[in-house]
Amino acid sequence: MTTIAIANAAADPVEKLLTFGPKNLWYAVCPSGFVGEKPVSLRRFGRKLALWRDASGQVHALEDHCPHRGGPLSQGVALGDRIACPYHGVEVRCDGTVTKVPGSPGCKLEGSRPALAFHVKEAHGAIFAFNADKNIDEPPAFTLPEELSSPEFSSFLCYSEWKCDWRYAMDNVMDPMHGTFLHKQSHSMAEGDSTAAFRIRDTETGFVFEKTGQRGVNFDWTEWGVTGTAWMRLEIPYPKTGGPGGNFAIVGCVTPINERMSAIFFWRCRKVDGWMRDTWRFLYRNRLEARHWAVLEQDRVMLEAMEPDANQREHLYQHDIGLVRLRRFLKTMATEQAQAAAG
Amino acid sequence: MDTDRYLQPQQARQRPPTIFEDLLGDAIERAFAAGNHTLPELVAHLNREGLPAGNGQPWTEDSFSALMARLGREGDAA
Repeated sequence: MTTIAIANAAADPVEKLLTFGPKNLWYAVCPSGFVGEKPVSLRRFGRKLALWRDASGQVHALEDHCPHRGGPLSQGVALGDRIACPYHGVEVRCDGTVTKVPGSPGCKLEGSRPALAFHVKEAHGAIFAFNADKNIDEPPAFTLPEELSSPEFSSFLCYSEWKCDWRYAMDNVMDPMHGTFLHKQSHSMAEGDSTAAFRIRDTETGFVFEKTGQRGVNFDWTEWGVTGTAWMRLEIPYPKTGGPGGNFAIVGCVTPINERMSAIFFWRCRKVDGWMRDTWRFLYRNRLEARHWAVLEQDRVMLEAMEPDANQREHLYQHDIGLVRLRRFLKTMATEQAQAAAG
Repeated sequence: MDTDRYLQPQQARQRPPTIFEDLLGDAIERAFAAGNHTLPELVAHLNREGLPAGNGQPWTEDSFSALMARLGREGDAA
C-alpha cells in the first residue's frame, strides 16, 4: 500500500492536535458494555487507555502506560480504584498516583502522581473520557443535545469503527447533500430535490448548516455544537412505515483512534411516548436497526476508499461551506491550544 | 467482514427475533404504511389482517400495548 505523506503531523503542533483531536474536551470512547471489571486497553485520541470498573460499577481510566517503565497497566490486576502493573507490581490509583512500589518500598515514586489519569463519565450507553494532557482535579461539565438529555426522546446508540481520519467522518455529517446521492436507495432518503442552496446560521454553541427552502423531506440540515464535548445532530424523516412520532434524529460524536481509524457514535433518537415509544423500540430492534446500518455502511465504504490525502486535493463548491466552517472552527480551537501550550 | 475492528450490525437486541415477532413487525409496518397511526386504527388493522395476538385471541389496545411494552423495553437498561 502506498501512503502519501501529508503535512508533518509530528512537527506541526496544530496539525497534531487536528489529527488526534483537540484537547480538553469530553470524548465518547466506547459503548458502556465494552468495559467490565477486567481492564481493557483502547487506543483513543492517539493514546492508549486502560479502562476498568470497580465493584460499584464506576469506570476508571488511566493511560495504559505504567509510570515506572511503560508496562501495559491494562494487563495487570484491577484492585478497586487502583491497578497493579503486571511487569513489576507497581500500583497506580485512578487519579494517577502511585500508591505502592512492591519491589522498592519507600522509593520516591510512591506517593507521586506521574501517571496520566482521565476523568470518566457514563451517559446514554457510552463511556466518555476527558482528554487532557495533564492531571486535573475537576474537569468541566458537558452536555449533549436534548435528543439525548430530554426524557421526551427515546434513543439507541450505534457504535462503529471506520478506517479513516476522524475528520472525514465529521465532514461526511456536515455534508447533507451526500444523502441525496449516496443514500438515494435507502429507506428514508429518496425524496426531495437533488439540487439545493445552503446557508449557515450561527447558534450559541456552534452553527447550523441547512438547505434553504426544504426541511423535513430528506437529510436537510446538520448542526455542530461544542458543549464540553463536540457533537453534531441532524434529522431525517421516516417513511410512513415508521409510524407516528415524526422524524428520527441522529446525534453523532466522532473520536479519533489514530491517524487512520475513527470511533463513530451515532445515537438514533425519536420523540415518542407511551405505546408509540414501545412500538418504535420494538421495530428498531426487529428491522429498523438493520436498515440504518445499511445506510451507515454506505458512508463507511465511501470514506474508507478515499485516499488519506483526499482532503488536500479538493475543488469545493457551495454545498461544502458547512464543512469549510467546521474545519475553520477546529483549526481555530487547535491553534489556540497550541499557542497556549507554547506559552 | 473485516474483523480488525468493531463492525456489528445488531447492537440493540439481545437475541434473534422469533417468527411471530417478524410477522408482527411486517404487520405493524403495513398498518403504518396504510396510514393507521393511532392505536385504535392499528389494532383494527391487525385484526383485519388476521395475525392473532400471542394468546390466539383478537388484538385489543391493552394486549397490543402490553406486548409492545415487553418487547420494546426488552434489554433496555433499567
